[in-house]
Amino acid sequence: MQKNLFIFPLIIFFCIILVFSYFLIIKRDPSELPSALINKKAPIFKTTSLFDEKPILAKEIFGQETIIVNFFATWCIPCRAEHSFIEKLSKDKNIKVIGINYKDDSQKTIAWLKELGNPYTVIAVDMNGSIGLDWGVYGLPETFIVNKNSVITYKQVGPLTKKIYSKFYQKVQESYK
Amino acid sequence: MNLCLATSFKLFILVIFINLSVLAIIDFAYAVEPEEFLKDPKQELRARNISKNVRCLVCQNESIDESSAPLAQDLRIIIRSKIKEGRTNKEIYKFLTDRYGDFVLLKPALKRNTIVLWIFPFVLLLLSLFLIYLHNKNSNKRLDDSS
Repeated sequence: MQKNLFIFPLIIFFCIILVFSYFLIIKRDPSELPSALINKKAPIFKTTSLFDEKPILAKEIFGQETIIVNFFATWCIPCRAEHSFIEKLSKDKNIKVIGINYKDDSQKTIAWLKELGNPYTVIAVDMNGSIGLDWGVYGLPETFIVNKNSVITYKQVGPLTKKIYSKFYQKVQESYK
Repeated sequence: MNLCLATSFKLFILVIFINLSVLAIIDFAYAVEPEEFLKDPKQELRARNISKNVRCLVCQNESIDESSAPLAQDLRIIIRSKIKEGRTNKEIYKFLTDRYGDFVLLKPALKRNTIVLWIFPFVLLLLSLFLIYLHNKNSNKRLDDSS
């Protein structure tokens, strides 16, 4: 019995070590949070368009085809870095890329798009961040995949990069199903 | 000389200790801007209490009450506007978890997938008490045997 008592804490200790080393070994970005909105309907919004200030209604955008929703801003440096990948996505005829200009200056955004090119079919203005709040956005850029049933199937937090682009594009194709 | 050094070292430790205790006592680490305050002190207190339980998703280990991140400020303002609309605390927490998931709450909710998290410490406590009891019983027995 005495011997068992000695072994028991050791077993617990090694179990704890195992759990900790598992979380150390697996490649996981702790800043990446699970989204509460996956497999839920895309939150609706009503705002204006960046260029012509015409009203934009979310329900007119979603529900026909796969839509990529990209939250971006000119003050967000990684947004500039991922811009070429957003352009690459927009070349796909099966999807529509819409931009949500988060807490930004419209004039600056127009100049920014003139410089880098405009991959977005529609750009909605989210001046006070309320659309971002409804979509659970906490750090720019964030990119959502919304399928043709208006359901969010995937969310990418942080910029699209060369490393993750193919994985993201695979998720886009899965959303066709 | 040595005595003097020892005294000043003691004094130094004492000063650090006092500093730390003062830091621990004063609750100065909140980031609420004056213009955010609600006029009704009761409502403001409610907003502060909710804010203390809500995680700032940008800084992750701070509550939105302590964080000066823009998102934390947005959330504080939205919590206050919901309180002014007359929403209950439960409705406000639901509003936040619907958008940001359970992660937004600093204290995890008691749910089926968090039950182990909540129960396990008590299980460990009971188990260790049991082990201590066994250990004592055995050593008492050995003492009795030897005497």
